[in-house]
Amino acid sequence: MRDNGPDMTHPSAPILALFSSGDLPWKTMWRLKRHVNRCEQCEQHGAEYRAAKAELRREAQSESLTAFEAIADWSVLEREMLGNIAVGVAAARCVDKVRRGRSWLIKASLATALTTLFVAGWITHIPREQTEHLAASLRQIIGLDRPVYLGTQLKNTPDGIAVRAQGATLTIMHPRSAVVLVSGPSSMSARYVDEDTGQVTITKVYAQ
Amino acid sequence: MKLLAIGLDVVAIGLGIMAVVYTMHAQTRSEAQPWMDVEFPRDSPVLAVSTAFGPSAVHPRGASMAIDLHASLLLRNTGNKTISGLTLRIEAQDLTPSGKASVTVPSLAVPPGEVFPVRVDAQLVRPFSVGRAEGALVQVSLDCALFGDLTAYGPDKLNSRRALMVYELEARRDRRYMATLLKDKDWARVREELDFGLQDLHPQQIGLELLHDPRANTWREQAVNVAAVTFPKAPVQPLSGAARVAGNEVHAPAIQIKNMSQKTVQIVDMGWIVLDDRGREFIAGSIPAALNLAPVAIGTMTEGGTLRFSHPEGSPMMIGALKAFVSDVEFADGKLWIPSRTDIDEATTDPLLRRALATSPEQQRLAEIYRRKGITGLVEELRKLN
Repeated sequence: MRDNGPDMTHPSAPILALFSSGDLPWKTMWRLKRHVNRCEQCEQHGAEYRAAKAELRREAQSESLTAFEAIADWSVLEREMLGNIAVGVAAARCVDKVRRGRSWLIKASLATALTTLFVAGWITHIPREQTEHLAASLRQIIGLDRPVYLGTQLKNTPDGIAVRAQGATLTIMHPRSAVVLVSGPSSMSARYVDEDTGQVTITKVYAQ
Repeated sequence: MKLLAIGLDVVAIGLGIMAVVYTMHAQTRSEAQPWMDVEFPRDSPVLAVSTAFGPSAVHPRGASMAIDLHASLLLRNTGNKTISGLTLRIEAQDLTPSGKASVTVPSLAVPPGEVFPVRVDAQLVRPFSVGRAEGALVQVSLDCALFGDLTAYGPDKLNSRRALMVYELEARRDRRYMATLLKDKDWARVREELDFGLQDLHPQQIGLELLHDPRANTWREQAVNVAAVTFPKAPVQPLSGAARVAGNEVHAPAIQIKNMSQKTVQIVDMGWIVLDDRGREFIAGSIPAALNLAPVAIGTMTEGGTLRFSHPEGSPMMIGALKAFVSDVEFADGKLWIPSRTDIDEATTDPLLRRALATSPEQQRLAEIYRRKGITGLVEELRKLN
């Protein structure tokens, strides 16, 4: 029998547990092994630890895999991670559809606001004549109107009567009170009273 | 698209630089070479005492340059006859020979030695790409001066003599008419004739385009009859007429006329009244035509051009109907007939149409004198001229 002399210092329970599972450094293991061989009490405690550990392992094997044990099983972990990723991607797609719908709504609202601003700005800033000229050009481009006649042309504007020929235009200016009339097969006239001189003035343009 | 946008930006910047450079260059040249020149023949009965050119601004407009030209001429009657009216011809290098313009001042009554002003306000728009020849861009010269005895001086390239004669005859008619009203102390009629001294703030305004387009559009065209407004004592009477109307365009109006006189008629000036789709009447103007119509003969006046009408704000004015009247007649012997005030009164019961037919440059001038100086000024003016 091995004696348990009073001079022997027993290892603590955690150290003894680590010794029984073989988890101590080799020098400590060798020193404790010498003690346990001579100390019946410590040997008994070590045997109890080993028995408890074996019992725990048996119970664990009979139950389902715990998260801790799954980590040890990489194939299972891989499948689980891929599954989680697939679920995440599917969820992201669902969210993206909602976001994309909202994005179109925002873009449409922005475009509408900008269009409204543009139209309002155009109406308030661009002269009507230019708008009509642009509209006429567009109508000609899409074939709704005839092309503008490019020969000699006579036309009145609010500020004068004009003759256009060879790419140039000569306008004889008159006040807005002038009365514009046709004055011949190829001439147009404007009649008004000159505010400075009080004289009646008749301007004419001719296409010859 | 981005490249296209950059390309357009580059083109726009290039055009802007061209405009600035050309404008600077043009302004430099303008010191030596004026934009506008005024010339009268040496034997002209009218000579320029002074010529003041206003600020002639030059500014780019798209791919063209626009030149504003303002000239105030002070002319002197250097002849020995009273000048009744004057027409200055305006020619631009860039439009010669197709396009010309003129400024006419009727109802002048300028005695020999007196001076009178004439203003010329014009704008010339010419492409940057067109080079400039020697001389002024715009030339002002005398086309015709009409004297008190109805003789005339000038090359008359624009048939101004005939127009000045008609204005003078109308002026004499209207002065006599107003003088009669004043003599009879028919103040109510005087005021009515002279717009009650009020300025006409809303004169008849229509947009007009006169085209001679061989490709005139004939679709949507419909034939309309032309109604005649007849002056009972006119030497030429309209019989019937027709025109083709397409929306706001009148194509080839034609009217049959009969010479009721015993003299050969050389020119008939046919006036046209347009009724819009609401039935409102607008005097469109008059178009003279050379006929050489023998006594009691029947002839047809036809215009080959296209008249396009629009409202002042630019929208097309749909044509509902047309009316025609004989505005004046020139006989082969050179004498002219114009409707008398009695003829006008008897031609229609519509007061607005009657007023439109009676409105002449002299009527307009007398109304302005009445507005500015009242009845005293009007009496003084008529006393001076009659």
